[in-house]
Amino acid sequence: MNTNTHDRQGGGGGGSFLSRLGGLDRRWIFLAMGLSIAVPILLKLRFPEVPGPMARATFDAIESIPEGSRVLLAFDYDPASAGELQPMANAMVHHCAARGHRIVFMALWPLGKQMADATIKDVLLEFHPQYAYGTDYVQLGYKAGNEAVVKLMATDIPQQYSTDAAGAALASLPLVADVKSTTDFKLVASISAGYPGAKEWVQYANSANPEAFKLVSGSTGVQVSQLLPYYPAQMEGLLVAVKGAAEYEMLVTAAYPSADKPDLLAERLGQGRVRMGPQLVAHLLMIGLIILGNIAMVAGRSRGGAR
Amino acid sequence: MNARNTNDDAGQPDGCPPAARATTPAASSTTPAASAATPAASSTTPARPSLRFLWLSLAVLGASLTVFGTAMAAQDAGGTAAAQATVALSKSIGIWCAALMTIGILTFLYKDNPFYKVCESILIGVSAAYWMVNGFWSTLVPNLFGKLMPSVVREYAIPSLPVSDTPGFDMALAFVPLALGLMLLWRLAPKGGWISVWPLAFIIGTTAGIRLVASIEADLLAQASATIRPLVVMKESVLAPAAGGGSAATAEMAATAVRTVDFWGTVGAVTGVVGVLSVLSYFFFSLEHKGAVGKSARLGVWFLMITFGSAFGLTVMGRITLLAQRLEFLFKDWLGIG
Repeated sequence: MNTNTHDRQGGGGGGSFLSRLGGLDRRWIFLAMGLSIAVPILLKLRFPEVPGPMARATFDAIESIPEGSRVLLAFDYDPASAGELQPMANAMVHHCAARGHRIVFMALWPLGKQMADATIKDVLLEFHPQYAYGTDYVQLGYKAGNEAVVKLMATDIPQQYSTDAAGAALASLPLVADVKSTTDFKLVASISAGYPGAKEWVQYANSANPEAFKLVSGSTGVQVSQLLPYYPAQMEGLLVAVKGAAEYEMLVTAAYPSADKPDLLAERLGQGRVRMGPQLVAHLLMIGLIILGNIAMVAGRSRGGAR
Repeated sequence: MNARNTNDDAGQPDGCPPAARATTPAASSTTPAASAATPAASSTTPARPSLRFLWLSLAVLGASLTVFGTAMAAQDAGGTAAAQATVALSKSIGIWCAALMTIGILTFLYKDNPFYKVCESILIGVSAAYWMVNGFWSTLVPNLFGKLMPSVVREYAIPSLPVSDTPGFDMALAFVPLALGLMLLWRLAPKGGWISVWPLAFIIGTTAGIRLVASIEADLLAQASATIRPLVVMKESVLAPAAGGGSAATAEMAATAVRTVDFWGTVGAVTGVVGVLSVLSYFFFSLEHKGAVGKSARLGVWFLMITFGSAFGLTVMGRITLLAQRLEFLFKDWLGIG
């Protein structure tokens, strides 16, 4: 944004345009970016998503375990990352429930329990009302301790979680009464916004028992660079930011539609795709601005060099 | 923003907000004298836009509260039940607070202003208080006080606190973190600050020990193992199953399955191995980066740049999603549009 004085002295025509571009107040760019996101939201722009290999691998991992398997879903995020992660959490819970898997919820982040509660209310009990607490799903809640929680769960879950989130003893809940460690689950999924999260599940749970269960993850865009090396050897599936959520939503809703509440399912499991509309327009704007900015810079340099 | 404003005040018309622009001529007319007598002049000049923003913020707040009050009055007049009205009021207050805070933070994009400062301070204060309370109730109460005086904690704080088989041993053991915690707080005392170094050493030692093993297993050995793989990737090409299926068709299909080279898989495998080796050579400083090592290191730089670009792109995607979610909230939950 440092305005070059020689830019403003440029001649007319294209030179004048580039000069003005070089001195453009960045608030116009903020406004353009805001509009590029707001307008697609208001117009409800949606574009078809083609599921990529990582979203498909996540889908296949949940499909590949026997129906009715016990799965552990860790909600390792809070409202700050819900924009990216809630869509994939919703889709994953619906997918697991549609396959008849029995779900144990937990959280490494303090507000993860509330995020899981919202998913249970909006998705699990809305589309799968037959799910009963204690036998089909259990909410363990949040435990402080970061990676120490994961490390202890890999060896002794009852010591880490003696009760569920409501204070009921694990022994009184049929789904988790006989659970000893993470090896008693067929699949572990971490919806992760950072530390502690998916990386710690790889390091402390998967490394301890690499063959005992499948590990999949959904991650924010900021964090996913750290997780990509783990795919596919140490992590069978990985949902990359809202793009991965949208692709996964496509797969899940195509395979498991709702007969009695199709519109509600499309809304609850369509948030990722809704947010991909603004993504496309905003990215096009960014690419255009980067190209224009570089042209303006090169033009400014050449004029400066000529003088 | 300050640099931006400085440029604006210096006479750049594009970025100059109306308020600042209005003050510019006066400022410029007094420039020589003002620059000599600077402190007082420079401290009074920016006060005008700040006051304008304060009044603007108060006006926005007032208008919002008026609209909110009107909406609630209309709702009450609609004859809703008292209990329902209470629930709606609570939710409405939450939505309005969230909406005003969101707008307040976004106003920083235009210019630093008191409305933004208020929202920022509230965010920091609430976050600090939240983490303090969270640490107290999720760590200190169950893990320390629950061991030292379990019956008291069970009576007044956590009724579901598990009953230990060895309460005496647990209590004795809990004195260790209690002592370490008190030693850690000793740094606040005027004398004996060195005492806090011992629990710090304990924390660093245990954390390093826990993470070292995990890093070696998951990040070094497993990653090296994942890198050592066939450079030419093969895939099974099978015919589509015949209509009607059946064991005979399956057997026939298995018989006609062929192994072919997976072109893109092979490209990926080769790229992965070349990328790892070239980036490692860039960070290998025992040899001068000349000749083959230099070329490999330069290739490694390219891989690193592509990685950073990819990470930047993913970060941008995440940030756009956050803004999209906030705008969705403002449009849908607050304004009822869409």
